[in-house]
Amino acid sequence: MNDMRPVERIVDANTAKMTARGVQVHYGDTHALKDVDVDILDKTVTAFIGPSGCGKSTFLRCLNRMNDTVAIARVGGRIELDGENIYDKRVDPVQLRARVGMVFQKPNPFPKSIYDNVAYGPRIHGLASTKAELDEIVEKSLRKAALWNEAKDRLQQPGTGMSGGQQQRLCIARAIATGPEVLLMDEPCSALDPIATAQVEELIDELRSQFSVVIVTHSMQQAARVSQRTAFFHLGNLVEYGETGQIFTNPTDPRTESYITGRIG
Amino acid sequence: MNTPNTQHIASAFDRDLEAVQALIMKMGGLVEAAVLDSTRALESRDDELARQVVAADKVIDELELQVNEETARLIALRGPIAGDLRTALTVLKIAGSLERMGDYAKNIAKRSTVLAQSPSIGGTAGTARRMAKLVEQMLKDALDAYIRRDVALAHDVRNRDGDVDQIYNSQFRVLLTHMLEDPRSITNAMHLHFIAKNLERMGDHATSIAEQVIYLVTGSLPEEARPKGDSTSYVSSVTE
Repeated sequence: MNDMRPVERIVDANTAKMTARGVQVHYGDTHALKDVDVDILDKTVTAFIGPSGCGKSTFLRCLNRMNDTVAIARVGGRIELDGENIYDKRVDPVQLRARVGMVFQKPNPFPKSIYDNVAYGPRIHGLASTKAELDEIVEKSLRKAALWNEAKDRLQQPGTGMSGGQQQRLCIARAIATGPEVLLMDEPCSALDPIATAQVEELIDELRSQFSVVIVTHSMQQAARVSQRTAFFHLGNLVEYGETGQIFTNPTDPRTESYITGRIG
Repeated sequence: MNTPNTQHIASAFDRDLEAVQALIMKMGGLVEAAVLDSTRALESRDDELARQVVAADKVIDELELQVNEETARLIALRGPIAGDLRTALTVLKIAGSLERMGDYAKNIAKRSTVLAQSPSIGGTAGTARRMAKLVEQMLKDALDAYIRRDVALAHDVRNRDGDVDQIYNSQFRVLLTHMLEDPRSITNAMHLHFIAKNLERMGDHATSIAEQVIYLVTGSLPEEARPKGDSTSYVSSVTE
């Protein structure tokens, strides 16, 4: 009977890529994140939703230790990538961020050529030994980011000269050039028009076949469209985490229902 | 206007829409078979076939549930608008009509197992089979019209419902006559009358599916009255 169900929905077979247990974050005296447990599944898009200040971006930034750069932030609990504690002293945060890449809200290409934007990560991580290898990585990354056809004839032109949607896809190409295993996206479409948004969402759906994507979004419709798993944060708590279709048709927690139906903010 | 041939940028949306419409087609195929098989079982007094029709109705019911679930999900996750919204709405209504048609077929199959034990009344079983053929063709065309977004074919289906109604009227009179002449035939004639009525209702549901196609493509239901042939509501007595 279930032969016609879209196969992509079945993600339960996927194993956990990252596991978070009892994660606490304090910014000075503010308790920003309270005891969060989440499994980020491999080859799955996970969306974090919730009102402003609920802790969703804070949690996202814990996943590749971006909070290390915030002086007053203290992170407690345990986060593992493939069973390895990412807050272990022996883990180099720079290496970690090559495995857990990030794309930000506003497109932020380097003031360099399109080619150099994408080649930057592979160069500093020594992923290519010859120019030909680097060329290949750049082309592959731009193709994966659905930007190759628009960029191939202007690789030496500045990345900042592209349109907003193209710049964001360039940032995605830059993030996937180091071959990450998890890609974190913090509101990747909030500065884009609807068509560019749809293109980035379609891209996210394609990237899912290669690695995990975690996306923070203010748009509940976007979470509904792109993700297979949704986590709802409220006041620093993880209120509900489950299959996206279930969250959006029949959430178990009344706070989730109130938020997604626009009754609390 | 609906534009079924252009794709969404979000290809997963297209896959979802296609999946739910594929379920409708699967349901439609099963209902078409049930309509024909139920009256074939009646005419050829085939108990085994009747039992199969009854069993197959479970599958049709489950498919309707699945269509409802998938469509609820589609509306929640994709927020369909314009033609996509009409697709989601019509899918629900069509699934409802198909489910009812499946129930009527099951009912005919049940009655046919009773009728198989007793003598037949004239050519009434054959007439039921002819009605079923008309209804099945209407359903088939309505579903084809749905897949092809073919308004002309949908209007054609809608206009054919009058033929089914006409046959029902004559069956009504024939059976009434039999009952008047021989009260022992009343039980069987009542069963046969319900069978004819079920087929007439199935025609209405096929018409309703055709109307949903018109709504899907044009955005509004047809306004002009369609030919109606069921006049039995006004029969007070039969004069020979």
